[in-house]
Amino acid sequence: MIPSEPRLGTRPAMKYRSQLRIYVDIMRVIQREGNEAKPTRILYGANLSHDRLVKYLEELKTLGVIQESGTEDKVFSLTQKGIEFLNNFRKVESFASAFGFRI
Amino acid sequence: MEFIAFAIAFAVAYQALKGYRVSKERTLLYLHFSFILLGAGLLIDGLASIIVLISQFHRALLFLYALGYTISFLAQLVAYGILVVAYLHQTRNLSVQLAVAAPLVSVLFFERNAFAELVLIFLLVYITAQMVINYHINKTTNGLLVFGAFASLALAHFFFLMFILIPIFFPLAHIAQLFGFLLLLAMLLRVNQTS
Repeated sequence: MIPSEPRLGTRPAMKYRSQLRIYVDIMRVIQREGNEAKPTRILYGANLSHDRLVKYLEELKTLGVIQESGTEDKVFSLTQKGIEFLNNFRKVESFASAFGFRI
Repeated sequence: MEFIAFAIAFAVAYQALKGYRVSKERTLLYLHFSFILLGAGLLIDGLASIIVLISQFHRALLFLYALGYTISFLAQLVAYGILVVAYLHQTRNLSVQLAVAAPLVSVLFFERNAFAELVLIFLLVYITAQMVINYHINKTTNGLLVFGAFASLALAHFFFLMFILIPIFFPLAHIAQLFGFLLLLAMLLRVNQTS
């Protein structure tokens, strides 16, 4: 059976994650792991492919919200800027959710 | 009372703008403009009432009272209209938004009357219903506070409508309106306590 095409002007039932949401998911995995997470943990935790994970980690490093340490085993941690961003995002998420808006 | 409500409306608008800057979520921008309009309307209404009171109801300045109320009413109409469109934006397609927005624009040219108050109540009941659904899904205290706030504002407008018939409803309407904004303030304080 051929799945029906979504009608023009309507939204698909499943909403794709925005870039911001993916950034936040990655940062939350790092925070959940005690602010030191290996790429494999982030990959599973944030539900990303390897290529996309590498791309997003580079972008987050450029933004200065995460930092990389370790030579052989790469480990990522949140910077102070990253911790502050996550706190701000949590507030925004809580505020938007109170009005029934999804971010 | 209007000045307290104005300050709270602007605080909500500021929080929505901060949220938009972080998330770039357009619905938060709608929320910002909606509460800016609500606050501005309340401020103008409050200022006009004070001028009329200070002038001891001078006949030449009585028109200010009506002007303030009318501006506040139109601001609320557009503000709640924006919120309704924001909820439709999140749940339905563009054609439905336009279908709803068109009569809203035409309503802007109506003079103050019971029908127009009923339109405001209708908008607020729709928003309150959205809040009930939101609370039912998320079961958060903040969601409950926002639901209570919009329910109070809907009640306030019902009292404003009843005021046309029975004067005692006037202070009750203002109390319900203030209570609604105080619930929004409580939600804002809770959000900003989140660490």
